[in-house]
Amino acid sequence: MSVLIDSLLAILAIYLALQCLLAQRLIQTVFIFFAFGLALALTWVRLGAIDVAITEAAIAAGFMGVLFLDALRDFSPAVSKKQQNLEAVRNPLPGNDTKRPILPRLALGLGLVLFLLISLEAVWNTPEGKGLTVVTGVMLPDSGVEHPVTAVLLNFRAYDTWLEIGVILMGLLAIFAAGGKEVYRKSGMTAEDPVLRQVILFFTPILFLFGAFLLYFGKSGPGGAFPAGVLWGAIGILLHLGGRPVLTVIPRWLLYLILTIGPGFFILLGFLLMTTGSTLFEYPPAYAGILILIVETMAAISIAAALTAIFTNLNQMSEEPDKIESNN
Amino acid sequence: MDGVFIFVIVFLLLNIVLGLFRVWRGPTVADRLLTTQLFGTTGMAVLLVLAGYLQELTLLNVAITFNVLAILLVISLFKVWKKKKGETP
Repeated sequence: MSVLIDSLLAILAIYLALQCLLAQRLIQTVFIFFAFGLALALTWVRLGAIDVAITEAAIAAGFMGVLFLDALRDFSPAVSKKQQNLEAVRNPLPGNDTKRPILPRLALGLGLVLFLLISLEAVWNTPEGKGLTVVTGVMLPDSGVEHPVTAVLLNFRAYDTWLEIGVILMGLLAIFAAGGKEVYRKSGMTAEDPVLRQVILFFTPILFLFGAFLLYFGKSGPGGAFPAGVLWGAIGILLHLGGRPVLTVIPRWLLYLILTIGPGFFILLGFLLMTTGSTLFEYPPAYAGILILIVETMAAISIAAALTAIFTNLNQMSEEPDKIESNN
Repeated sequence: MDGVFIFVIVFLLLNIVLGLFRVWRGPTVADRLLTTQLFGTTGMAVLLVLAGYLQELTLLNVAITFNVLAILLVISLFKVWKKKKGETP
């Protein structure tokens, strides 16, 4: 009977992905993307990957949604005009207005066929046995945590996780390079709206507490540094939207310290452990649990600061287009 | 009992499909804003029912993550909407 749910979810996810690509207006694309994120998160749950579902819910539905909405404002011609009836303004996607070129369609079709072939191959050749699950299960007591996914992410394959945090910082660096650093000092909007102020007062502690809970819960179940970092980053975004730009009131060096403390502590710990004769990121089993918790906390702080900074800079770049152009 | 769970989940998923109609038609940003809230709430309901169906209580984490981040979308959208209407420069 659960085949009914699974097939409905599969059809929904693929349909939404297609509609997201083929929608005529940008605003439809953005909103269909939300629905797609939801369908994808539910699909991950049905596949048993609850860690991925949490990350999908936090990053795709939460953070990416906010970024897309911010971008939507920039692409809308209604921003500069006195435009009351917004929906009268159409935002046709490039190449969608006159005649559809044949090459993108061909590429899309070819990609779909290749994807189908790869999926078929994956379904046909399911690996024998349980793969690396058994090895992870055997090594789990030495990892310091009880949840296999956290053990793999923060202990067995810690180097990959370290690089992943670096990817977020690289994104922020690109935004700094594109001129975001100059407008960074501008304060945000003012919060004269009492409802907005109450919402911020109400949600900031909840976001912080739940982020901290996810961080700690990662030891024994789905959770961990990335969703926690997004939830804490959401506090920064919320405060920025409410006119309290938290990253602009602290000194620049403190911001850089917060941004780099996660990956910095992570790699320093790895090298320090090398001096005791073990390999990079090989935690001694006795202290592995507490070390992983500290590393995760630092990483979550850095991720939160980086996501906040990414949003803040993009948001303020879009508010001051003249200034960006003069910088170039 | 499993039949009830599956029926409820399928019903909620069909609700999401119906909500897509509003995304498609609009006509204003506010209608679409409410649709995201429908998606968030319905998705949370699906997750809660799934948690009961699969006996997997960690799904509640996913549900709360969706829920607390939904407010971010509302505020962000509210700002976009306000900007587009030209109320603030």
